[in-house]
Amino acid sequence: MDSGINMICFGACYAIALALELSGLWTRIRLRRVACLMVTAAGLVAHTWYLGKRVAELPAAPLASHHDWYLLAAWVLTTIYVGTLFYYPKKSLGVFLLPAILALVGAASLAATKPLASFEAPRVWGLVHGVFLMLGTVAVLLGFVAGLMYLMQSSRIKNKTLASGRLRLPSLEWLERANSRALGTATVLVGGGFITGILSRLAQQGDRGFVPWSDPVVLSLTAMMGWLIIAEVFRLIYPAARQGRKVAYLTIAAFVFLILVLAIMTFGGDSLHFKSETIGQAAPTAGGPT
Amino acid sequence: MNLRMIGWSHHEAKLDVRQMLVFDPAQTAHALGAWQQRFPQSELVLVSTCNRVELYSACKDENRLPTADALIDAILSYHNLSREQYAECLSTFSQREVVQHIYRVAASLESMVVGEPQILAQVKEAYQCAQQAGTTGPLLHDVFQTALHTAKRITSETSLHKHRVSIPSVAIAELASCVFESFDGKYVLILGAGEMAEETLRYLRDAGSPEIHVVNRHEERGRQVAKNWGGDFHRWEDLWDQLARADLVISTTSAEEPIVSTEAFAEHVEPRRHQRPLFILDLAVPRDFSPGVGQALGIYLYSLDDLTQACQRNEAARAAELPAAEKIITEEADRYFANAHYRATGPVISELRRGMHEPKNAELSRLFNKLPELDDHARQEIEQFADRLVNKMLHPPLESLRDASQNGTHHGLLDALRRLFQLED
Repeated sequence: MDSGINMICFGACYAIALALELSGLWTRIRLRRVACLMVTAAGLVAHTWYLGKRVAELPAAPLASHHDWYLLAAWVLTTIYVGTLFYYPKKSLGVFLLPAILALVGAASLAATKPLASFEAPRVWGLVHGVFLMLGTVAVLLGFVAGLMYLMQSSRIKNKTLASGRLRLPSLEWLERANSRALGTATVLVGGGFITGILSRLAQQGDRGFVPWSDPVVLSLTAMMGWLIIAEVFRLIYPAARQGRKVAYLTIAAFVFLILVLAIMTFGGDSLHFKSETIGQAAPTAGGPT
Repeated sequence: MNLRMIGWSHHEAKLDVRQMLVFDPAQTAHALGAWQQRFPQSELVLVSTCNRVELYSACKDENRLPTADALIDAILSYHNLSREQYAECLSTFSQREVVQHIYRVAASLESMVVGEPQILAQVKEAYQCAQQAGTTGPLLHDVFQTALHTAKRITSETSLHKHRVSIPSVAIAELASCVFESFDGKYVLILGAGEMAEETLRYLRDAGSPEIHVVNRHEERGRQVAKNWGGDFHRWEDLWDQLARADLVISTTSAEEPIVSTEAFAEHVEPRRHQRPLFILDLAVPRDFSPGVGQALGIYLYSLDDLTQACQRNEAARAAELPAAEKIITEEADRYFANAHYRATGPVISELRRGMHEPKNAELSRLFNKLPELDDHARQEIEQFADRLVNKMLHPPLESLRDASQNGTHHGLLDALRRLFQLED
């Protein structure tokens, strides 16, 4: 039976939550935080229901298509946001996290719902590859959000405008730590996704296997991983890059690479990930973007 | 009762102006001594803190009360400052305004952080300093004593001071917490070992367990403060090393010029910090850090004036308590002036009583001479009768005088009594 739950349901819930968060910047509304939590929780339930429905319809979901992959990333990010409502109830983190969540939901609506190419790869490799890259994307997004907040908070403290608004951001120390951890975690996860993608490719073709380096998605992901590794090495050898604004800049640069990868993944019709249209539709398996 | 006050406060005068006008305790004593010779008939008290420099004067003779211009000139000429630059941003009060103002100052209603406890002690010290200099008298004694009483009443009857709030506490709770998630293990450098430094340390200790390091020119005092707070003392020569290592700097020295210039900071500290964030609270007047230091990457420099925004928020939170505090101030000012006026009627009342009792005693003597057969009991009864009669006759005019003095409209009544009863002026 069709439950009637679709992307508009949870997308609208998240949009209302964002409106509530933004309203808190201008005026004091009683129980705003509770309303925010309830609306987001309702959205999360609908979101979970929708993903469950996709799994029921398509056994390889929720990582079987770009659409599901985006929605799962949004789901993880929403869960993190709900956690922040409990742990940091007085901070305006939703102002930054909810647009990222809505962007992922929006990207899901644009992304293809058809299953990703399997190339007869072992299911486990595709699943691990997809999970790594999905979590890596979440880590880069969190780093980007933390970086933005760091730069904004740093600017507000520097310019002595802290008291001018109701935007309550975490301390610079917290944001710097979140930034560093997000960058390190993203490097590991994207690296893991990259390696499992290669292994997946080799596993499905055996001795004849080759890695399609010229594929736009593979190419952009390689560039992104290269940047993350360079950023980590830079942080290790250059003390100033371990703290302050430098970390924020590094995570924002990583986000630019992520946008590039996601744009190619979503709109790059000639990538090997879309060849399932011709060869992989019959037997879809779990898999990420590479 | 003739009162006048001139002064500069953080409401009108910027830090740059106030720091030129500030008096340290030695200067205060010296200045009061000099002004006593200039205004020999007047009582004088100088209140000089980070946020205000105010000169209070009182004189029994209205004609001898120093004019506002003379008081302004006294302060400016002491610092060799020109009038043009400083006369625009000052406040002048007289009579009742003076009393209400000092009440508000002592109760911290005029402070940058409403409810801060330090100002009461500073007002007290200012009065004691004037006492030692010999420039106080009964008029300002009453004003300042009632000011302290009013401040204590506001403390006990309102929740304006419920939480300990001062400039250091606002700086730590509202600003430093935007930089640091916790103060545990943070390298906190205290420059200067004065009262403000200790006040700041108190709040830091409440907020976490930082590593405390004290740098002070006066080694003995610096070591004492470091010992009191379980920190380490470092010599003044180690200033640059300490600044390079610090996470949070609280500067409260009484140096007359900045101790850290932009150039020196860029040369000795910045290259060694690698843009590591450093939060500097410059609570000193004059400034200890040149404003240019705050332009460096990773450096967040806040001076006293910069705390204004945080203090305004603090004031808003306490706004609900302000009407109650203002009501107490109005009540106390009314009481002060009623008492002052009533005291002014004292000589007339004494004359009036004397004028009634003298004829009474004369008539009693005449009566007792005429009636020598009266025994002691009868004499005593007659004396009591005469006393009661005089008191009952005096009661209505004295009550009227008391009521009039409450309203400050007693002058006409005093004149009438003098004329009716032919009292001496």
